[in-house]
Amino acid sequence: MTLEYALYPGCVASVRELGYEISMRNVFKALDIELRSFADFNCCMPACLVHSFDYKRGLALTARNLCITNEVDLPLLTLCSSCFGNLNRAKYLLDTNNDLKKDVNEILGEVGREYKSGVRVEQVVTALYNDYTLKKLEGMIRSPLKDVKAAPFYGCHIFLPGRYTKFDDTEFPRNLDDLIKVTGADSVDYYEKTSCCIGCGSFFGEVSEKAALILAESILDSASKQGADCIITTCPFCIMQLEMGQIRLKKEKGIDYKMPVMHYVDLLGLSMGLKPKELGLDMRRSDMAPLFSKINIQ
Amino acid sequence: MVTSKELLNRLIDEKKLTYCENCGMCTASCPLSRAIPDIYNPRLLLQKVIFNLDDLIKSEEFWLCAWCYRCTERCPQGIQPTEIFLLTRNFAVEKGYIPSNPKKIMQEIIKSGRSVPVFEDFDDWRQDYGLPPIGTTISEKALEEQRKIMGEEWLRRLKS
Repeated sequence: MTLEYALYPGCVASVRELGYEISMRNVFKALDIELRSFADFNCCMPACLVHSFDYKRGLALTARNLCITNEVDLPLLTLCSSCFGNLNRAKYLLDTNNDLKKDVNEILGEVGREYKSGVRVEQVVTALYNDYTLKKLEGMIRSPLKDVKAAPFYGCHIFLPGRYTKFDDTEFPRNLDDLIKVTGADSVDYYEKTSCCIGCGSFFGEVSEKAALILAESILDSASKQGADCIITTCPFCIMQLEMGQIRLKKEKGIDYKMPVMHYVDLLGLSMGLKPKELGLDMRRSDMAPLFSKINIQ
Repeated sequence: MVTSKELLNRLIDEKKLTYCENCGMCTASCPLSRAIPDIYNPRLLLQKVIFNLDDLIKSEEFWLCAWCYRCTERCPQGIQPTEIFLLTRNFAVEKGYIPSNPKKIMQEIIKSGRSVPVFEDFDDWRQDYGLPPIGTTISEKALEEQRKIMGEEWLRRLKS
């Protein structure tokens, strides 16, 4: 049976990470996964920002997207881990607290909507793992990426907190490692594997940027020291922090990590024999050359 | 409508806040504390929620959290610092303390329905890459419903 999802485009992915969207669309097409578009979604309303202004109305704004998904009776697919986390948070809070659900539904009633349980929210990586399955992915690999050492960077909202995401072990996640191994590449174990890029808290100009750069340097350093050929992320925030971080580290501290950073679908696409351009890799901010020369791509 | 302080009391049993053993698991797990320990420390922030809430809401530091949820996942006492900080921010907003950056992003969401602004010819650019248009704002219907759900009070607070 063909998998089918309602595509939730998100802000950061569809505006700042076109390469990711191109890659995801082409890889999913090659895997025969159907994506349907709906016009009326709103922002996932990041809890850390929007719900700070009004807890319940914020939750209602997030839940509005779940109402739409409910109406079309399809699982929701997000590109961004943060959208995935926020939507699953709303789902969890409403499904486990009847009083809160009643209050939020009262607000949603003002625009003629109602949240009902039973919506499923997946992200690109969780959909591949949970729904498509590793076993079926194995059969799609045309050019295994032998000798490539890929360092998984999980990010936060794909697996934390466990009760919202229900995706992986919250201390020792391994699903992204397993997804990497399917492509024929080796998954590298390194100190910062399950660290945070703090991209989601980047509201505060200088302070946030300072903190982000310290963490980016530590992540890049730790992956480099373990001999990684590339870092594999699941989230458009993480990839931006690790790529922009490299540009800033080069400029501000004269350190050049030359570390290719890719989304998981990019790595998968390469192992399925898709061309770099079909994976939006010509739009990456980090230098892909070291990786391409290793796997003989011009 | 109940105020956030009442909501804080209702959603999080205030007695439970005193269950904090000061073990420091939250701070030890916090990526921000690792990067900027002098500026951000969730264990101390939690103490301020209990003992010094009125001063805390005037500071900007508790707006720094990047919502990674590690503290909430690991707290041995089941205290949920992320949710507590969220409600503390609600309280700050009610009292009129809104830092400028979150305010700016919120104003963008109200205007376009997105947290990231989209420039005029953006869809032409997307089209060059074979991607469907997304418009400079979300749909009119979605924007209208968004305004209604936010409500007058919310929109008023962001005007000034």
